[in-house]
Amino acid sequence: MSGPADGSALELLSGVVLVCAVVTLWRRSLSAIVKALGVQGVALGAVALVLGVAHDDGVLIAVGCLVVMAKGLAIPALLGRVVAGDPDSRETAPVVNVPASLVAAGALTFLAYGATAPVVALVPTAAGRLIPLGFATLLIGFFAMAARRKAVSQITGLLLVDNGIALVAFLATAGVPLLVELGASLDVLLAVVVLRVLAVRMTSKFGALDLDQLRELHD
Amino acid sequence: MSTVAGAVAQVATAGAQVVAVGIGGPVLVGAMRKVRCRIEGRVGPPIGQPLRDLRKLFAKQRMQPDRSSWVFAAGPVVLVATAVVIAAIAPLATDGPPLGRTTDFFAVVFVLLLGSVFLALAALDTGTPFGGMGSSRAMTIGALAEPALLVALLAMSIPVRTSNLPVLVRSGLDHPQLIASPERILALVSFLVVILAESGRLPVDNPETHLELTMIHEAMVLEYSGPDLALVTLGASMRLTILLGLLVNLLAPWGIADRPGAAAFAVGLAALALKVAVAGIAIATFEVFTAKLRLFRLPELLAGAFVLAVVAAVTALVVR
Amino acid sequence: MSDLSLVITAAAGCVAAAAGGALPARTRVPVAVLLTWVACGAGLVGAVVVLRTGHPLVLSTTRVLPLTGATLVLRPLGAVFVVVTAVVAVAASLSWLGYAGHGLSTRTASATVPIFVTSMLLVPAAGSVATFVWLWELMAIASLVLVLADQRTREQTRSAAQWYAVMTHAGAAAILLALVLVSGHAGGQTFAAIRVHAAHLPGAVRSAAFLLAVVGFGSKAGAVPLHVWLPKAHPEAPGPVSALMSGAMVNLGIYGIVLVGDQLLGGGPAWWWLVVSALGVVSALFGALHAATSTDLKRLLAYSTTDSMGLVLIGVGASGLFASTGHPAVAAIALVSALLLVVNHAAYKGSLFLSAGSVQMATGTRDLDQLGGLMRSMPVTGGVFVIGGLAIAALPPLNGFVGEWLLFQSLLHGLPTSSTAVAIAVPLGVGALALTGGLTAAAFVKAIGVGFLGRPRSPGAAAAREVPHTMQAGAGLLAAACVVLGVVPMVVLPALERAVAQVVADAPARGVTSSVDLRLHGLRGELAPGLLAVGLALSVVVVLGFRRLAERRFYLRLPVRRAEPWGCGRELQTARMQYTATSFAEPLQQVFDDVLRPDRDLTVSHLAESRYYTEKIAVRTSIDDVIERDLYRPAISAVYGWGRWAARLQNGSVHRYLAYGLVALVVILVVIV
Repeated sequence: MSGPADGSALELLSGVVLVCAVVTLWRRSLSAIVKALGVQGVALGAVALVLGVAHDDGVLIAVGCLVVMAKGLAIPALLGRVVAGDPDSRETAPVVNVPASLVAAGALTFLAYGATAPVVALVPTAAGRLIPLGFATLLIGFFAMAARRKAVSQITGLLLVDNGIALVAFLATAGVPLLVELGASLDVLLAVVVLRVLAVRMTSKFGALDLDQLRELHD
Repeated sequence: MSTVAGAVAQVATAGAQVVAVGIGGPVLVGAMRKVRCRIEGRVGPPIGQPLRDLRKLFAKQRMQPDRSSWVFAAGPVVLVATAVVIAAIAPLATDGPPLGRTTDFFAVVFVLLLGSVFLALAALDTGTPFGGMGSSRAMTIGALAEPALLVALLAMSIPVRTSNLPVLVRSGLDHPQLIASPERILALVSFLVVILAESGRLPVDNPETHLELTMIHEAMVLEYSGPDLALVTLGASMRLTILLGLLVNLLAPWGIADRPGAAAFAVGLAALALKVAVAGIAIATFEVFTAKLRLFRLPELLAGAFVLAVVAAVTALVVR
Repeated sequence: MSDLSLVITAAAGCVAAAAGGALPARTRVPVAVLLTWVACGAGLVGAVVVLRTGHPLVLSTTRVLPLTGATLVLRPLGAVFVVVTAVVAVAASLSWLGYAGHGLSTRTASATVPIFVTSMLLVPAAGSVATFVWLWELMAIASLVLVLADQRTREQTRSAAQWYAVMTHAGAAAILLALVLVSGHAGGQTFAAIRVHAAHLPGAVRSAAFLLAVVGFGSKAGAVPLHVWLPKAHPEAPGPVSALMSGAMVNLGIYGIVLVGDQLLGGGPAWWWLVVSALGVVSALFGALHAATSTDLKRLLAYSTTDSMGLVLIGVGASGLFASTGHPAVAAIALVSALLLVVNHAAYKGSLFLSAGSVQMATGTRDLDQLGGLMRSMPVTGGVFVIGGLAIAALPPLNGFVGEWLLFQSLLHGLPTSSTAVAIAVPLGVGALALTGGLTAAAFVKAIGVGFLGRPRSPGAAAAREVPHTMQAGAGLLAAACVVLGVVPMVVLPALERAVAQVVADAPARGVTSSVDLRLHGLRGELAPGLLAVGLALSVVVVLGFRRLAERRFYLRLPVRRAEPWGCGRELQTARMQYTATSFAEPLQQVFDDVLRPDRDLTVSHLAESRYYTEKIAVRTSIDDVIERDLYRPAISAVYGWGRWAARLQNGSVHRYLAYGLVALVVILVVIV
């Protein structure tokens, strides 16, 4: 029952995912970044739900709900608690400044379009034309990890990467097996938990969550 | 019956050759000394004096350093034994091996080396600095002389495709042009230099000296007395005779016995004596006009001999 | 039935290892030794059967190595090496029995020695790439553990083990690469399959595989410039282990080169074998020179192992060269001489190392400048060392002489008459051979003379007592083998010819006829070692008789007088006045100064009060291995320098690392696009 409505819904939702990724590069406030992640997670889940409804796939609908709950609600909640614990919750001096980051995000989006051209050719459906957006999210997430100082930003980048992969998977193959999705989600959950521990330690040792402070440990 | 007679003849031939070398060796040394003295304007001791010296030495008591082992006592015995073995099997007076079926040149060289090594070991056994000094210098010279010797051997073996000594000598008899060939001559010159090095003649070593700075062979045998010293002297003179005999037989084999029979053998012995005497006198004359080389100049001399031998071998290969 | 022998070898080895590791201290070593003997005996029986009948033993199972399967194929060539290893292992383990309380009786060592011996016995029987590599690695690791067994805490031992570990594994990597290269192209990993497909391999692949094999196996055999581990590791290992390593393990390097060059690749162009011969000449000269100038007894023996292996490589190279130019008869003789040199080397080097181990145990030192006077207190060990030393100096009537004669004959008769370059190279090669012979003789006169004769130069040497009977027996067994092989080499020659027939195509059935004397088939060359030995013995008797007669004729007999030797009028003749090993080698060191380039250090320290008065002058000279100093150490410092530079990449910033990843990813994507 896929129709132009579904196609435009998919376009809207994928666009939201990409825009959220760019917002994480744009906003300085950590709590705003976490909120953007939450919105992105919900949009991702919605993509899965739409596709599931269109293909009448119960598993995909279940996966979509799972994604909404995990990536849209649970993980941002956890991250929010980490951010709340940090007194200075603004990304004040990133490695790459905001205008340059936005330019880089644009360049990476172009690169994504070029690199995934063969993949798009393989998936001739309407959903297939949106794959580059997922790939761009991936690259932007990687860039965020490299270009941001705070520990929370690193995990944000990781989550962006994971979301980008998930988006590509949903669009290209109309879903992934439940097991794979569960596994990926578990990995990400673990990463977040580890970060929580790391953040506590860092705060107690350095009084801040600046990852570059870890350089003090270098010989 | 003929095999027993043949075996007896072989043993007799070998024995005669050994006795000839054993007596001729000291006589040769005496003759060389006499020639040197005469040229230097002195009268000099009689030619048979070394034999009398041997007799005198056998009458004296043997001495051993108090901390030495069986090696010291074995040194002179092994030296003379190796010389006896070579005298028995080398084509000196006859062109076939007097004893046994074959005499390889390589075997001759290494049996003589066995004698030198044992003497060097015995010298170290004395526990004196002289022994170590002589041994060290002798082994250095030996190590540097071996390349020249073996390559000269190779050069002489290539034209006849074998290193069998009797064949080498006989080839000279049958094909005189082999002797006049440049490879044989160059190889024999190289061989001569090695003989001078191995038997301790000038310009390598002065057989008359007892100064620390200049002794090589004499330093090794300083501790021997009595019959041991007699054996050492006898062994050294036998080695010189054997090496000169091989040299002259490879250079001018005429007169050597090429038929069985006592008459031919006697002629061969006489020819050998004559040729070795001529060679010895020539060497003695050369020694008068030459000075001993510094120890560290000897590698240059031996390297020169090596180069000559290599040139001989290359010529032999290319010409063939 | 005889196939069982290989199974018994492996099984006995495993049980011996288990026993060595599990039993209490008193029974550990004897039981392990006994079971090791069983393994050696079984291997010996199987190998002898193969050599006599010419039929190979084949054993193949997938139960031991599940992924690839284990294949054992024992053919005559491998059987020769199995026999050699078995005999050396029997003697070394006999010596091990007496080597009590010196680190070789720990659980680790008692379990590792049987593993080492068994893996060495089975390497020549390996029939597939996987089996070969497994056994080779097992052998390398076992020997590494054993090198560390004695004196584990000494800094030199650890450094030596480090060098050994790195070089042996680099060699193993090269070997693995060569074998994988060949078997990958051939599409099967058993040696038989590789041999079948070898002819279709492209020439570049064959040459690359051969060169890699020469590097890997040459390193194991101690060929220059890959020999640097030998003079470090062999002296540090305990006596019996050194004998095993030098007498049995280095031979397997030669086996490997012949295996890859002839058996797997089926022969190759002439330049392969020229490379092998050139390697051999350089190794022989270098090893002999360093042996002649070395003052550490075991280091001297290790360098002379390099020398002997160089001679073997000359023989192998000459054989390959003659075979590739179409002279199979001479090629066969050259290879027989190389194999005979291997057998001889095992006999005399094994006995030399075992005696050196005895000396080290009795005196506590390996430094020749501290030894001396041992012939009277350790007569059996001294006698064995003399036999070994005379044998390695290639003196008749011992075995080294026969091997060198055969090598010389093969070079003489095989000289091709074609090119001028060869006409110059071969006499130079013979000259190099002769020089190594002379240097080896000087080295061993020094080792015997300074180490065993004269007066003791240190309290340790003065206090030496003869070692236990088992150690004497172990060394004596191999010395007896030297004598037997020298007087009657005919016992091994038919077996060697059968092995050579496997390698050299169209070799005549009896290239070296052997009844009473050695006769070269179709060429003029003869030697009668037995008669020579008899002649020498008879001459000694004759000379002794003559001396007795002469003494009696000319005087009444007085007993031999033992007195102080002549000291130029000095009152005191101390042991310090004797020549040391350093002084003995000094003329040679001066002659070869440019090659050895010794380190000379002269420090003059003055009195505090005035610079005109010297308080102390200290001179220190040392001869380092030139190749290690000029080739390896710069390479190692370069690697360290590069590592330090690369460490700057790791500045501790997480962002930098992530940025590296990002940049790499972007570059790849750009390239794809």
